[in-house]
Amino acid sequence: MGTTGFLNYSRPFIDAAKKVFETMIFTKLEPQKPLIKKDNTSLGDITAFLGIMGEFEKDSIKKNYKAMLVIAFSYDTYVKVANAMLMENRTQYSQDISDVGGEICNMIMGSAKRHLVELGYSSNMAVPSIIEGKNHTISYPTSTNVVIIPMNSAYGTIYMELCYKEED
Amino acid sequence: MELKSDLKILVVDDMGTMRKIIKKMLVQLGFNNIHEAQDGSEAWPMIQSHLEEGTPFEFVISDWNMPGMTGIELLKHVRSTDEIHGLPFLMVTAEAEQSNVVTAVQSGVNNYVVKPFSAQTLKEKINTIFASKK
Repeated sequence: MGTTGFLNYSRPFIDAAKKVFETMIFTKLEPQKPLIKKDNTSLGDITAFLGIMGEFEKDSIKKNYKAMLVIAFSYDTYVKVANAMLMENRTQYSQDISDVGGEICNMIMGSAKRHLVELGYSSNMAVPSIIEGKNHTISYPTSTNVVIIPMNSAYGTIYMELCYKEED
Repeated sequence: MELKSDLKILVVDDMGTMRKIIKKMLVQLGFNNIHEAQDGSEAWPMIQSHLEEGTPFEFVISDWNMPGMTGIELLKHVRSTDEIHGLPFLMVTAEAEQSNVVTAVQSGVNNYVVKPFSAQTLKEKINTIFASKK
């Protein structure tokens, strides 16, 4: 997939993330310049991720693809986001807010999905997972480029990552 | 339109976060008799037992995708049970594809709401459901 293709694929995720944060977390996201990720260490302390499998059709040619949506937060940002979303006043991370990141991932993917269909991508989403802890690593699908889209918010920077691979 | 504050509501979602959000939105909207279930397989026995006790649920808000028993399967159980076949049922879904909407309508859902949604949107959906019940 070239740069244009990747930008087309990532646009619905960026739009969906902005919508989710405005509607349920009551803050605006300001997407920054995308970067290519060089390693598999998370940019956050808490990472929510979701695998995607589907089919892409262009010019009557169908190809299967695999992708992954990742959202990484620092502890501080995660707690602020959870507080806004759940209307609470926590001061630190605890297990009972561990599925907040997964639900955000779920909503972004669900919202992006209908726009991806318009671009020719069908997609089946897996159940979101969470990894927590300083300097943890992420297992991306093999042989994929990972693009980081940092997004600034009133609660700190949220790092959205996308990787995509077409299968032969 | 004013609904009674003690309307007996069951919120079904496998994600604790979403149950909490919906519950808080319902409290904001003035409701105070809200129960929770983690998925359809927990919700269905609750619906049956409350019916047997003579205090049936009056409204169900259920997620679509859940392990155990999905929202659509739960809805089908409700619609095929004589005493509660008309129980108002709002489906919550993360996906707004046309095929999903058709499936939900064919299964007899009263309305559906696509995530993300605000308390105002939830209120409008609830009002639409109960206005059509009058």
